[in-house]
Amino acid sequence: MRTIFATLAVLILAVLPVAAPWLQFVLTLAIAKGFAALGVAVLLRAGLISIGHAMFFAASAYGVAFLARAGIHDFGLLLILSVLAGALVGAVAGSFLVRYRAIFFAMLNLAVSMVFYALCAKLYSVTGGTDGMPVPVPAVFGIVFAEPVFKNVLFYLSLGLMVLVGVSVQRYLNSPLGHALSAVHTNEIRLEYLGIPVWAVLLIAYVISAALAGLGGAIAGFAIGRVVPDFAFWTASGHLVLIAVLGGIGGVPGAFIGALFLELLHSAAVTVTDSWNLIVGITLIVVIMFMPQGVYGLFARREVSSL
Amino acid sequence: MAFKGISIVVARCLSSLELLFGLHRGLSQANLRLVADGLAGALAIGVAAATPAAAQEKPGSLGLGIFTFTSGPAAAYGMPGKNAADLIIEEINAKGGIEGVPVRATYVDEAQGAQGVIAEYRRLAADAQNQVMVAALSSANCLALAPLAEQLEVPTVGWNCDTHQLLIDGKRKYVFRPNGNTVPEFIAYAIYLLDRKPDVKTVAIINPDYAFGHDAAKIFTAALKALKPDVEIVAELYPKLGSPNYQTEISRLATARPDVVFSNLWGADLENFVRQAAPRGIFTSSQVILALGETVLQRVPLPDGVIVGVLGDGWWMSPDAKANPETAKFAERYKARFGEYPVFPSIKMANTLIYVKAAYKAAMQKNGGKWPTRAELADAMKGSKVATLTGTAQTRADNDGLVDQIVGVTVKTSGQQFPVIGDMVRYKGESLMPQAGQDPFAWISTLKPEFAKSLPKPGSYK
Amino acid sequence: MLNAIIPLLLDSLASAALIFFAAVGLTLVFSVLRVLNVAHGSLYSIGGYVAASICLFIASRQLNPYLSFAALLFSAVFVAAIFGPLIERSLVRWTYGKSEPVQILVTFGLFLILEDLQRMIFGVQSFYEDAPMRLLGTLTIGGVVYLNYQILLIGMALLVVIGLRLLINHTRLGRLITAVVTDREMAQSIGIDTNRIFILAFSLGVFLAALGGALATPTSGIAPGLGADTMVLAFAVAAIGGLGQIEGAAVASLIVGVARVLAIYLVPSLDAVAPYAAMLVVLLIRPYGLFGSMTARRI
Repeated sequence: MRTIFATLAVLILAVLPVAAPWLQFVLTLAIAKGFAALGVAVLLRAGLISIGHAMFFAASAYGVAFLARAGIHDFGLLLILSVLAGALVGAVAGSFLVRYRAIFFAMLNLAVSMVFYALCAKLYSVTGGTDGMPVPVPAVFGIVFAEPVFKNVLFYLSLGLMVLVGVSVQRYLNSPLGHALSAVHTNEIRLEYLGIPVWAVLLIAYVISAALAGLGGAIAGFAIGRVVPDFAFWTASGHLVLIAVLGGIGGVPGAFIGALFLELLHSAAVTVTDSWNLIVGITLIVVIMFMPQGVYGLFARREVSSL
Repeated sequence: MAFKGISIVVARCLSSLELLFGLHRGLSQANLRLVADGLAGALAIGVAAATPAAAQEKPGSLGLGIFTFTSGPAAAYGMPGKNAADLIIEEINAKGGIEGVPVRATYVDEAQGAQGVIAEYRRLAADAQNQVMVAALSSANCLALAPLAEQLEVPTVGWNCDTHQLLIDGKRKYVFRPNGNTVPEFIAYAIYLLDRKPDVKTVAIINPDYAFGHDAAKIFTAALKALKPDVEIVAELYPKLGSPNYQTEISRLATARPDVVFSNLWGADLENFVRQAAPRGIFTSSQVILALGETVLQRVPLPDGVIVGVLGDGWWMSPDAKANPETAKFAERYKARFGEYPVFPSIKMANTLIYVKAAYKAAMQKNGGKWPTRAELADAMKGSKVATLTGTAQTRADNDGLVDQIVGVTVKTSGQQFPVIGDMVRYKGESLMPQAGQDPFAWISTLKPEFAKSLPKPGSYK
Repeated sequence: MLNAIIPLLLDSLASAALIFFAAVGLTLVFSVLRVLNVAHGSLYSIGGYVAASICLFIASRQLNPYLSFAALLFSAVFVAAIFGPLIERSLVRWTYGKSEPVQILVTFGLFLILEDLQRMIFGVQSFYEDAPMRLLGTLTIGGVVYLNYQILLIGMALLVVIGLRLLINHTRLGRLITAVVTDREMAQSIGIDTNRIFILAFSLGVFLAALGGALATPTSGIAPGLGADTMVLAFAVAAIGGLGQIEGAAVASLIVGVARVLAIYLVPSLDAVAPYAAMLVVLLIRPYGLFGSMTARRI
């Protein structure tokens, strides 16, 4: 049932841009944000809230831009290297950040991400400052596409990656390592008594979450064609947490559903009102107060009842 | 903020549905048959959407995407542009539109950041009715949109894209700038300054922290050094665009005690800076140059003797502008509607729309009265020479514009409550421009004091 | 040498005063309610908008310009009286005892709502009203002209530090607050009305935020986006000083102020990086802040 539902959803996503070409860009970005939100959701499992994950999102996007400037034009190579860059930044930052909990974890993430943001914005000669850096159209498996075609290719590759990465993350979360995350949330000390190195469990989770955010950032960079410091601003990090919570941190599809939900809500809202933030803010508060399972919770419950 | 930008793109699936149905109507019989073939037909629509159909019949309306800042600190500069666009479009439509087709503008707020702007551009470009983009205000957005304009083949006219980087490779087919660029704009200030204060020794610079601020500083410094090699830059500050508070920067400028303070801050940043710097004596201790100072003349009390200009010829009270009844009428209507006289961003916008209108006329003449395609329109812009409200805008082979540069100093007159520009000079556009394809900095470094001597002097434009 | 140091010092103090006002309310609210209010920056900018609106009104009616000083104070009280109880009652109360992610998200939602409300009420144009700054005139120190208003701000910041300390140590309300901060359950069980304390403390925090915004208007413009920028600066200061530490916030403001001013004087290209770099350095050495402890309970 679950698989059928997921397959159907992915198929609908795949067909949508054919019917409405404009949606292709929208959906690509939704998937990109979904990856990043999934990264945030992984940490939320352990009760850790990061208001700084937009940094990894931006780090990978900048990685793509720098690598392209250095003469690398292969899409696959760019994607892999930039995600590795995101993961590397994650490993360095994570190695000391995962020692902290609660509000201190949130604040330290914010601190690191704002240093990153400020550096991107101020180092004009290196990063182009607030003008950002261009992300050129790369070659995919040696073929150089025209820009509109590349955007199609990018969308379907992202969709494929969404399924592939989604399944892998689900596996990870269902593995002992993943279960240990929830255990950190519930009772960290008990976990240590059991001889499980909490530090290592969290560091692995942190690197994975940074890599996921990086993957999202790289895709967003390709889709937009430009990377700017605003990618890393703290409100962007806030929105990633928001997506994760909207989707419900319970399952992997939640992050993507959250991202799609937010984008679709936005499309409906923009035509009638400017007050997009107001709507998101109210939605967020309502979801937190009355639907702790997130929007994904609605689907999950309906699924249960249909069984 | 950034994500809001991304999201804005997104949105509008509703409008994409409209687009789908709109295309059905626009498709030829052959394509309609394809539609019936299911998926293949759907794909055809996708392709059709990406390559706008060659509409040779006059459409019901002509869509313009106009990009400017309508919110945030930059709106102080962007709104006068939008106001002027409203006014000019109204005027055009009152006379039956452009070649009989009424104009309909969609405004895009650049304050949403590059991502949102790019997304909006794509959305507007996907609608074949939007034939021209008037984009953009911020040079950062111009640089981001230029490759897109080429990829999507949409004529894009920079109404305020002054960065010299925009057209530097000379390969643009669809991006036009009927304006001067940063090179003549800021060389003009160096020449004017040296004419007025030949003994300048020390200069401090405070510019916004992005391409426009950095480029201007580089050009102004290079020109000064070429014309007077012993000039020293004693401080270079680049506060973030949109900074509300400049107190520390002002102290820094004061401690450096420079002969000259140069700034190309703009919008609310400029207003903030002037209001904060004036009481702290910056304007009395140094000769201040406010490159975009004309925009705040009516809003903040600028002391006499500040070197200001209009980054081009768009000064509504210049002798040429006063001699043009259209311009006088425009200025009065603007004042009546918006409570202040047009500032140079208003004139730049108005001139840009006049330029677009002229391009349509030329394109239709060229292809025998048929409504032009996007490509034909772009073709008509190339090499054109258009009379504007304040002078002429000549488009070179590299799509860059040649526009005269007016510089002067603030003076009080009995005619207006606010200071106006006096002691003016009007440099010919081509005299301050390097040749197409020439590296601007290589060209600037070849300038000699004799070059400046050959140009008109302050006060010569009356 | 002296000529260079005096402006540096004064600029640092003036800049620290502004930063302190942005941060002190955040840290106070955290110390009592143990909630990190992400919407704090919005309340700061609302204070600024209200103050500027009232001052503009005074100027347009050509009332006594010295009224604008009263207007600055009044607008802070006004914003606190409206938003303090309203937000505490409706939203913040609900998050007590919930996990940090929930608290941060609820107040982040509030931040988004308040940002749009400001756009709706005050528009998107930049606000500027400098009557109080012009009234006070200038003074010249070390060859550099300063605004007397800047000196006044430094004094006000000192007054707030001393005032808050006196309030907490030497008044009945202060002792009640201390009791609640030290042990919430115990305070409740001996009959302290904790609800009232929470409303008062939160409103005091809103007052300080709005006061910061109001006092900043005469020397800086207000435009959309100010709330977000202020928020993250307030975070930095609160984190450096130690969450919940009032004197900590004062010292941290000085550190951030000095870092920023030094950057502008010596490496201007890094001015915006300085506050966050200072935060990162301090937090790497003392993750709970200069004056903070793991539990962050002391006030």
